[in-house]
Amino acid sequence: MTSVAESATGRAEAGSTAAGGAGLAFRLERAGLGYGRDAVLRDVELDVAPGEVLVVVGASGSGKSTLLRALAGLLPPREGRILAGGREVTGPSADRAMVFQDDGLLPWRSVRRNVELPLRIRGVSRGERGRAAREWIEKVGLDGFAGHLPRELSGGMRQRVQLARALVGAPRAVLMDEPFGALDAQTRVGMQRLLLDVLRDTSATVVFVTHDVDEALLLGDRVAVLGRTGVRAVLDVPDGDDARTNLRERILEEL
Amino acid sequence: MIAGPQTLTRSSSSGTAAAAGPAGSRGTAGGRAALRWGIRAASLLAAAGLWQALTAADARLWLRFDRLPTLGEIAERFAGQLTTPLYYLDLLQSLIRILTGFGLAAVAGITAGILVARSRRAGDVLLPLLEAVRPIPAIALVPIAILLFPTDEQGIVFITFTAAFFPVTVSTRHAVRALPTIWEEAVRTLGGTRRHVLWNVVLPGILPGVFGGLSVGMGVAWICVISAEMISGEFGVGYRTWHAYTVVDYPGVIVGMITIGVLGWLTSAAIELIGRRATRWLPRAEGSRR
Repeated sequence: MTSVAESATGRAEAGSTAAGGAGLAFRLERAGLGYGRDAVLRDVELDVAPGEVLVVVGASGSGKSTLLRALAGLLPPREGRILAGGREVTGPSADRAMVFQDDGLLPWRSVRRNVELPLRIRGVSRGERGRAAREWIEKVGLDGFAGHLPRELSGGMRQRVQLARALVGAPRAVLMDEPFGALDAQTRVGMQRLLLDVLRDTSATVVFVTHDVDEALLLGDRVAVLGRTGVRAVLDVPDGDDARTNLRERILEEL
Repeated sequence: MIAGPQTLTRSSSSGTAAAAGPAGSRGTAGGRAALRWGIRAASLLAAAGLWQALTAADARLWLRFDRLPTLGEIAERFAGQLTTPLYYLDLLQSLIRILTGFGLAAVAGITAGILVARSRRAGDVLLPLLEAVRPIPAIALVPIAILLFPTDEQGIVFITFTAAFFPVTVSTRHAVRALPTIWEEAVRTLGGTRRHVLWNVVLPGILPGVFGGLSVGMGVAWICVISAEMISGEFGVGYRTWHAYTVVDYPGVIVGMITIGVLGWLTSAAIELIGRRATRWLPRAEGSRR
């Protein structure tokens, strides 16, 4: 569809100068995605700019999660190519962290040990791991819960842990698969605020999947609308309430 | 075979304490619990009383109780046994055999189960072999074990190993296959390799299923170690029990049975305890102990 690398947002530009890995750009070239014999998505053309927050909205069954799993490297494309940072995606990587809708935490690990996991995998020293984990646990508002097991936490708290675990390793992209979809409305608003807060300090590219149009407008720099046939439209999210209301109408029409 | 003697030991030790149970208040939760414990104790006591009545009267109703020892004779023999070093030597010997065989089976079984479930190639190589040998009860391997191993000791451990190996392998394989893929995907998207997935997802994630297999494995391992000792041992509780029978020491047979029962119960309880410790992360589900 429209090439939009140039419409990268202010946050992205700020990000590229920030310390740490810059946000990752994604490009899907005529990608066909699906499981077994069934193609869920065909001929997907999509560019994700470094450092932007791209929200993918679509009805259930439209292939939102499929698209995200392909970007993560968990699902090889059946045709076409997927590029991350100019290189073809051949499998998962620590550069592309994923936040799952639910139950993505390892239930036998405490909050602290879940958050430390990506650093442990990378071979970071114990002291360093502990420090980073503590910092992130605090950042997502879970002070005092470091020793708890996931089953002792509420759904919202578990998603906070997932967020901390995804970001503690400073990935260049964060892929979020309806992370707040299973939460009640109030908790969700809190989580959205936290996410905006946390993302302000990172330069990571974010691809966020949801079926909630309001959530998409709140979080996204751009919104990609998935229909039955693939990507229907990629739209910039403007500032200003009126413009957003118009965009909301437009998205609901496309769905 | 194992439940019988356990019933007897319990009844003799807990009978007096629990007899007062049913007299407690009714209606309250505490009262109901006391009543239930009272009924349980009474059930054991009744069985022990029946045994005592039948053996003391030398009853010969189609089943013949005239050569079986009374509770008193059993208790006396047991007290006597507890003072002989031989009793402890037998006990130790059987424990060493079962722990060696079972320990090897646990390691080999978990390894084989994971290999078969995670690697298609390993599955192609190992599965036909496993499926070909699995239907043969381990105890039927006794002749082979005698021919194969230089000493009886090794043969007995081999039989025990084989008995426990299959339940552990099968339960491990199923546990690996039943693992939700999301945990593996989570670790891989955090940069984890296959090795990381193995250590951080597969091994901890299969523990609940594996411990089920270990429990079953421990049960069949006891059956096989006792049988093998009866056939070819020179020490061990199984050998001693059979030996008591051949020298017409019937109270000694019952003492052996009780000993085996207690050992079986202790080892199962140990596995259960370790299993609970290792899987404390599971959503609490009561039921296995009641």
